[in-house]
Amino acid sequence: MDQLPNLGRELEMLSEMGMSSIDELFADIPEDVRRNDSLPLPPPQSEEQILADAQRLLGANIHLDSRPSFISAGLARNFVPTMVPMLATRGEFLTSYTPYQPEVSQGMLQAMWEFQTMVSELVALPVANVSMYDASTAAAEAITCAVRVRSKRSSQPNTVYVSEFVPPHRMSVIKNYTQGVEIDIKILPHRVDGTLDLDAAKAANDSCAVYVEQPNAFGSMDEGLMSLRSIIGEKTALIVGVDVVSLGLMEAPGNWGADIVVGEGQPFGIGPTAGGPIYGIFACTKDYLRLMPGRIVGQSLDADGKIAYTLTLSTREQHIRRHRATSNICSNETLIALMGAMHMSLLGPEGLERLALRVTAATQTALESVVSIGGVELIHPELPVFREFAVRLPCSSRETLDLMDSKGVMGGFDLSRWWGSMGDCLLIGCDERTTKEDIESLTSALALSISEVRS
Amino acid sequence: MSSVFDFNGAPGSGWSQPKPIRKDAGKNIPESMRRNTLPRWPRASEPELVRHYTLLSQRNFGIDTGFYPLGSCTMKHNPRINERIVQMPGIDRIHPLQPDSQVQGLLAIYYEMQDMLSICAGMDSVTLQPVAGAQGEFTAIRCIQEYHNSNGESNRNKVIVPDSAHGTNPASAAMCGYEIVEIPSGTDGRLDLQALRAAVDGDTAAMMITNPSTLGVFEPEIAEAARIVHEAGGQMYYDGANFNAILGKTDPGRMGFDAVHYNLHKTFSQPHGGGGPGSGPIGVKSHLAKYLPSPIAARRARTEEDPRGAGDGFWYFWEEPECSIGKVQQWNGNAGAVVRAWAFYRRYGRDLERMSEHAVLNANYLRHRIMRDHDDSSTLVMPKDGAPSEVVKHEFTLDMTPLKDATGVTAKDVAKRLLDYGYMAPTLYFPQIVPECLMLEPTETESKDVLDKFADDFLSILSEDPEIVKNAPHTTPVRRVDEVLAARQLILRHPCE
Repeated sequence: MDQLPNLGRELEMLSEMGMSSIDELFADIPEDVRRNDSLPLPPPQSEEQILADAQRLLGANIHLDSRPSFISAGLARNFVPTMVPMLATRGEFLTSYTPYQPEVSQGMLQAMWEFQTMVSELVALPVANVSMYDASTAAAEAITCAVRVRSKRSSQPNTVYVSEFVPPHRMSVIKNYTQGVEIDIKILPHRVDGTLDLDAAKAANDSCAVYVEQPNAFGSMDEGLMSLRSIIGEKTALIVGVDVVSLGLMEAPGNWGADIVVGEGQPFGIGPTAGGPIYGIFACTKDYLRLMPGRIVGQSLDADGKIAYTLTLSTREQHIRRHRATSNICSNETLIALMGAMHMSLLGPEGLERLALRVTAATQTALESVVSIGGVELIHPELPVFREFAVRLPCSSRETLDLMDSKGVMGGFDLSRWWGSMGDCLLIGCDERTTKEDIESLTSALALSISEVRS
Repeated sequence: MSSVFDFNGAPGSGWSQPKPIRKDAGKNIPESMRRNTLPRWPRASEPELVRHYTLLSQRNFGIDTGFYPLGSCTMKHNPRINERIVQMPGIDRIHPLQPDSQVQGLLAIYYEMQDMLSICAGMDSVTLQPVAGAQGEFTAIRCIQEYHNSNGESNRNKVIVPDSAHGTNPASAAMCGYEIVEIPSGTDGRLDLQALRAAVDGDTAAMMITNPSTLGVFEPEIAEAARIVHEAGGQMYYDGANFNAILGKTDPGRMGFDAVHYNLHKTFSQPHGGGGPGSGPIGVKSHLAKYLPSPIAARRARTEEDPRGAGDGFWYFWEEPECSIGKVQQWNGNAGAVVRAWAFYRRYGRDLERMSEHAVLNANYLRHRIMRDHDDSSTLVMPKDGAPSEVVKHEFTLDMTPLKDATGVTAKDVAKRLLDYGYMAPTLYFPQIVPECLMLEPTETESKDVLDKFADDFLSILSEDPEIVKNAPHTTPVRRVDEVLAARQLILRHPCE
């Protein structure tokens, strides 16, 4: 209640309007829809009380930094530089709206134009927007965008091929976003060794789009994807989902034929935050520019000829084009993208490479240590991994994880929650902060838990 | 001002991090998959970047820097405790796939928010998963679509929207594959029941409408509109963008709606952050609840066998609705926004009604000060009401045609001139049914003194030399920006050379 500057001045303001009661302001609400009782909610609290309750409730959660943690599945238990939240929460950024008035929004506009540049450089494509909600909506809207651009000239109109190793939650988002506009999603199979079946991928030739991920849902990386362009033909959109940190080491998809690159931006800028707010990156070639979703900042000049920035290509958007818009997206994740830009600027090129090396070093070390346990096998032993790897246990992964939990180790993700047939599989995720001691704890807890489950 | 790409220090001279935990890091990745050239990101030190981003922030206008009467956007004060709470490891350092036993406190907050939002809107179930208002609209229309499909009525392929609706309404329905039927507003700007009756038929899937309307006026015949749509077998969808006007006074359930979205970034103080993040939960009546996205926070009484809980006697868990449409965001929504909104709601509790009262009081007061406090000599240039009405709700519209006719000064010119006076411009040229429209929403967090000063400044602009107004702004970091040039030259990134 301490948020109302005019508390106690109501009558003074009402009387200036010739009124004597607040009720007169609501007299236009017909009796039959009016609420006459109070809201059945608890009494108001002070800031002090709210903080105490927040500490009690959020303090009851067990957070990732409180123990060795190997749960990732597309989010990173990253380290965010201190500068990032401190500057991004400056009120001028935090409390601004979408920069519709460029003359007083140059700060955010320039920061987003710089963000677009960093994403563009990262993935080697010329154009990026100022963010999507997350990696999954970015992938889904990349698919609808590709269909808009390609469908009319394709021999497989409205048809898109998606790798079967895309995580199920992302597939669910993709299905929700594509079902209404009648896009036919066909599944691209993988071979037993985990690689995409490139022979089967020939079926995608001259379809609207192909969507694959590098690394895939199991953390595996597949060199065969780099030859997809020649298999699917020049006219089919190649959409690639990436781990943004991996691009400190891996060739950028824009350099092996990708038309659109999407991914989870979260490792740059913000903690896992219980799944949001995070942000999706979206970058593409110029062919897709005019039909892509999301806000885009362009450089221009002001009335005095000075360089200035403004939102551009707005005629794609819902507030102008209404039901013919390329997307309904309006609010996006700008502030989190700003945090991402700050983090990327601090890293610099060499810092990005080191970050990727730290992640891959931890992943490889954990992998070697875990597969030394008797009965534990990699599900795709031939493939290099980044951030994550999937193993098959000699017993139930859920029971094993529960036991590891009781030993104070978050051992990973039970893959049967995604694929029912993988009840003995575990997805183990690492990050730049994973230490040798963490890996020792993981390995001993896993070995001990397996023997306890089996006994 | 300089660009971040102007920083180009020695390689590796910037922000430091530990070494990889093994010397042969990266050797597991074949050379043929490796990149040869790193992205041309800046090479900068922390002191340089702190100054760069501080200077950028000083070229940005927020609620913290001045009055932000942006209609339809509810730019209210963002309490700082929100930011303090979301930095706690119990939210920042939580993974959405952690087992229920490790996130009892977060689940308790989700449950409380679902409950509170249901109560405030007169709905039966709430999901917090959609991460923006537009995504909430999309999600609710998806649920309605599944509802019709499961009733064997997949032939219903039309969604009705008034011509005054937010652009996201038709865009969201179109993304679900619906044909849009736009109905014209009446001459008074209100919903035209005759037009509605003519538009509904056996193909009607839903009607999407906001109330108060985008003109800031309450639709008095809303309950009748709901009856008309329901009789035709359609569903009623409430766009919650204007929810700040009616909390505790009425609710969409009473008006006859089946589904509603909330904007936690409007009504419940999640900061707008220059365009996001937002959060767009939806509430539905019981017949739509089983289609909601998965998962939803649920609870039961805690037993001896349960591990430690949130300390309130309940055991919380994630639950999948029976016929869920699946996911619209890959995790459980913008949890950070949910927690901020929780902290905000706790400040009011059962007195949320006071918040709406003050939002409406401020809007009516500002409208009164602008429309009534002028002498006769200025009437020629005075704006007209966007819609005739005794009172408005949380926002109102002005038709600036008289000024344009008398002087050539447009609504946009006035908006730009307001920037010189240290205000954010109102919403411009929306709703499109009002000519030369300015839409103002002061919110409940502005003082009478600010409103008085703004009204005085606004009125004085109307009698300024038209050339000064037409060429505004004059004192901002940059002058009027050439948007046509931006779209023509399409310089969308730095060359990095």
